[in-house]
Amino acid sequence: MENKITSESFTIPMGPQHPALKEPGHFQFTVDGEIVTRAYVRLGYAHRGIEKAAESRNWVQDLYLLERVCGICSHIHSFAYCLAVEQLAHVEAPPRAQAIRVLVAELERIHSHFLWMGVSAHEAGFDTLFMYSWRDRETVMDILEGLTGNRVNYSANILGGVKFDVDDVQAASIRKGLDFLEERTNHYLQVLGKDAMFLQRTRGIGVMTRAQAEVLGAVGPTARASNVMRDMRVTAPYSAYRQFSIRMMLDSRGDLEARFQVRVQELLESIRLIRQILDNLPQGELSVHLPRRIPAGEAAVRLEAPRGEVFYYIKSNGTDKPERLKVRTPTICNLNSVIRLAVGHQLADVPMILAGIDPCFSCNDRMVTLADERDGSERLMTWSELRQHGIDFYKQAAK
Amino acid sequence: MNNEEILTLAEQIVKSWDWKTEVSRSQPNQLDVNILNLEQFVPIVVGLRVKRLGYLSAIVGLDLGREANQLEVLYYFCEQSSMIVLHLRIPRQNARIPSLCEVIPSAEVFERELREMFGIEITGLKTIEYLYLPEDWPDGVFPMRKDADLTMVTAQTGKV
Repeated sequence: MENKITSESFTIPMGPQHPALKEPGHFQFTVDGEIVTRAYVRLGYAHRGIEKAAESRNWVQDLYLLERVCGICSHIHSFAYCLAVEQLAHVEAPPRAQAIRVLVAELERIHSHFLWMGVSAHEAGFDTLFMYSWRDRETVMDILEGLTGNRVNYSANILGGVKFDVDDVQAASIRKGLDFLEERTNHYLQVLGKDAMFLQRTRGIGVMTRAQAEVLGAVGPTARASNVMRDMRVTAPYSAYRQFSIRMMLDSRGDLEARFQVRVQELLESIRLIRQILDNLPQGELSVHLPRRIPAGEAAVRLEAPRGEVFYYIKSNGTDKPERLKVRTPTICNLNSVIRLAVGHQLADVPMILAGIDPCFSCNDRMVTLADERDGSERLMTWSELRQHGIDFYKQAAK
Repeated sequence: MNNEEILTLAEQIVKSWDWKTEVSRSQPNQLDVNILNLEQFVPIVVGLRVKRLGYLSAIVGLDLGREANQLEVLYYFCEQSSMIVLHLRIPRQNARIPSLCEVIPSAEVFERELREMFGIEITGLKTIEYLYLPEDWPDGVFPMRKDADLTMVTAQTGKV
């Protein structure tokens, strides 16, 4: 990536590759001294043309294709796809299947939020929290593996229902795992709210007001941390969320600390909901039959992924393949909003601001070019060096 | 406001701007608005924004095929569980629609995607660099069009 040099500021490109998301990003920050003056995103480095590919595959094949949109929140994509196709076919999955879908979705949220907590703790230089939260995450990964057979890409959904049942032995092991996770989550809630070094990196940083969040179209925990009531599970309940209601976690502060608090409290709420589902799992079939050809029509569904609202649009022309399929993932909305927040902040805060929206972005090294306009020199910086710069910057500030 | 009130108010706004605008309900929670005149489009969006009826959840592009010779763009404005969908239909040649960035800044990424994937020029869109496509992508190839020539992709992978 070429560096565009303007008269009095540096341009710092960050990125691009990241294999885990649909949206790996290349970020370019223009800085004046230490202050970011302009931020720019370039996506597409792992754009795989899934929407186009879906048009040339049949309805069943697309289920497996779409589950692979994201490696972290894979279930929510097949969930959304199944809901939309079932809506087109005018069938509804049996109540037990819907409850199991939500059960897996909430387990996935726990796994995703724990993963995010580790990554952002790492960005802040708090590697102890990183290691502990990833160790704890293994518990929920084991639950998911025991339930579905896979640690990722669970393949729980089929068109018209789910693939597997939850028996009493599995329910008992899930409950046992949840007890441990609940204890740990309560511990993290305390750590994140009290640790002075950590608060220095989160409190008052990257503040997004409610009005900004609304105008810039933030979704999910990022929006809820700015007191925007946007949670599809509550505002537009789908599937088993109609029977099993969940509380929306809101915070009015809008800074990074609020984003941490909202997500960690969501963990507790997910744990509560999973217990409730296990206690009240409806009896009955696991799936209903769906025709190979789906009746012509259009369907749009909105679901709450771990990172926010995911939008699916499907148009059927009555054949065994979709005419058009559109996926709008939450990160694209949040990147767009938070990237604007970086303007006016210290360069040292950039890693945390980006990690704060959970873009699943910061776990590998990437090159950062610092171009010095004043003496014409140029130097390269990796993402981990930039991260270190952030940590050192705050260490200096603390002295 | 409940869903019904949201959709009724949206219908009033749309109708009061241009009484000829076609409105229908394809789902109980969805209001479909066919924008017949492109000049009416931005004012109607402003009307919805002023009344805080929904945020722009997604923009969906559709290629209706060579026979219909039209492209369709759907704007999903969502509030609670209700959806207000604005439909724009434009010819496939020299496709051009106005940008919403002045009214809704978050529309930018959606519009950039629409522009490069469907070849729809967006009047007023400031950032026109590719968002997703590689820099060496051939001019005039719009991958999401039904008749897009994707040989440069298939040559490498064998399939789309």
